[in-house]
Amino acid sequence: MILFQNVDKEYPRTGFALQDVSFHLRKGEFTFVTGPSGAGKTTLVRLVTMEERPSGGTVRVSGYASDRIRTREIPRLRRRLGIVFQDFRLLKNRTARENIAFALEVTGAPPEQITPKVLRTLAAVGLSDKADHLPSELSGGEQQRVAIARALVNDPFILLADEPTGNLDPKVALDILRVFKDINLRGMAVLLVTHDRTLLGEHPRARIVELDQGRIVRDTVGGGAVG
Amino acid sequence: MAYTSREAFFAFRRSPLLTALSIATIAFALYTLSVFGLVWSNIDRVLESVEERVEVIAYLVDGTDPAETSALMREVAAYPEVDSIAYISKDDALARARAELSDYSALYEDLEANPLPASVEVALRPGYRDAEDVQDMATRIARFPFVEEIKYGEDWVQKLDFLQDLSLFLGVVVGGVFAAIAFVAIGATINIVLISREDEIAIMKMVGATRSFIARPLVIEGFAKGVVGAVLALVLLTATYSLLEQRVVSLEFYSPLQIVAGVLLGGLLGAVASVVTLRRHLAAW
Repeated sequence: MILFQNVDKEYPRTGFALQDVSFHLRKGEFTFVTGPSGAGKTTLVRLVTMEERPSGGTVRVSGYASDRIRTREIPRLRRRLGIVFQDFRLLKNRTARENIAFALEVTGAPPEQITPKVLRTLAAVGLSDKADHLPSELSGGEQQRVAIARALVNDPFILLADEPTGNLDPKVALDILRVFKDINLRGMAVLLVTHDRTLLGEHPRARIVELDQGRIVRDTVGGGAVG
Repeated sequence: MAYTSREAFFAFRRSPLLTALSIATIAFALYTLSVFGLVWSNIDRVLESVEERVEVIAYLVDGTDPAETSALMREVAAYPEVDSIAYISKDDALARARAELSDYSALYEDLEANPLPASVEVALRPGYRDAEDVQDMATRIARFPFVEEIKYGEDWVQKLDFLQDLSLFLGVVVGGVFAAIAFVAIGATINIVLISREDEIAIMKMVGATRSFIARPLVIEGFAKGVVGAVLALVLLTATYSLLEQRVVSLEFYSPLQIVAGVLLGGLLGAVASVVTLRRHLAAW
């Protein structure tokens, strides 16, 4: 699954973003990565997507190792990850349905499979009735659901979400958390990065990895022991 | 493939202004280049036709033995630089003078003796027509004792040499500069297109599109813009040509093959500029 072994990430100008980080995410696990801003949360996500490579140690994701993966293998890795951002990152001139279909088209999915899959995924995030709306015609929560559907449509083994509720009001944030929990109940692993501690209380059984100044200061497994 | 071609031509509808701007840039760059090319090739053609007339003329002493003349002709004809050689007898020379100077034909009538000398005219092969080769040929022919005088238009052969060197230099340097400007202008407009689509490219990378998948429609788009720009440039060029032709001077237009090659070159320029620009945008993964 995802394995960090003594991972350091140092930037030339700003110094260490992560230091000696080790953890192992297992299949189907729901994990919060939390900590104050500047703790290294986003760097951790970028190491999983291999947008960044570690300065020391190794990151392993679904059979690919950070020290051995070739640039041309990265697209194949990304297809196995579903990625969701704080700012949704939808294409403004395409409808909800086209935004989701886009993720299938660019990975070369057979055209006849695209429509049924898109409709199924839209239903899974509760947006069947908004399929033909443009992002500008959707609320923030709805746009984030479209982004989640786009992340899901390629059947990834894990959903990575970097502050997915950061732009949403608290009530909508809880709705979105519920979507992630539902997805997790169906067996998909979720790694949700947030600085919002109230979310953690909403899912007491989730694992919490807490970062501070680039180091892991707490790692609970199943809401239990400190690791 | 359906996706690729749809995306490539979608651009025309999605951002018509930006597309029009880049096509106009390509058209103007290629137009400038082609006008220069046309002027240059016509100057070169004129210089070439002048060069074809380069010849060495050896005037013979009156009363030269015909056997000696034909020995000279055999020897000179065997030189590798020589294209053709002709003997102009005294009578031929007079007939020619009468024909060429018909307004003054009275001058040549009632002559007691023909004052014009017989001569041998030597035309040189292409590649042996510069000042140095011509001079060399003249020196060799002058060694025959019965050659009275040699003429080969020394100063205009040298001027022609200079003009041809200048024309080649301008063709290569100015043409190269125009081509480079065209390339940079095309690259710049494609860069704007790519910047306007950065979000889209970032999303494509995120959902696992391969580099070639992202690049392909953009390269096809660059090619298509290049072709459309080249056709536009051709329309402008044709208009300019017929204007010049009517009002100023008769020129030779590009051949159909050159036109097809030019349009393809426009497409190639668009595609290559896209690839070069894309490399920068797709460097980080």
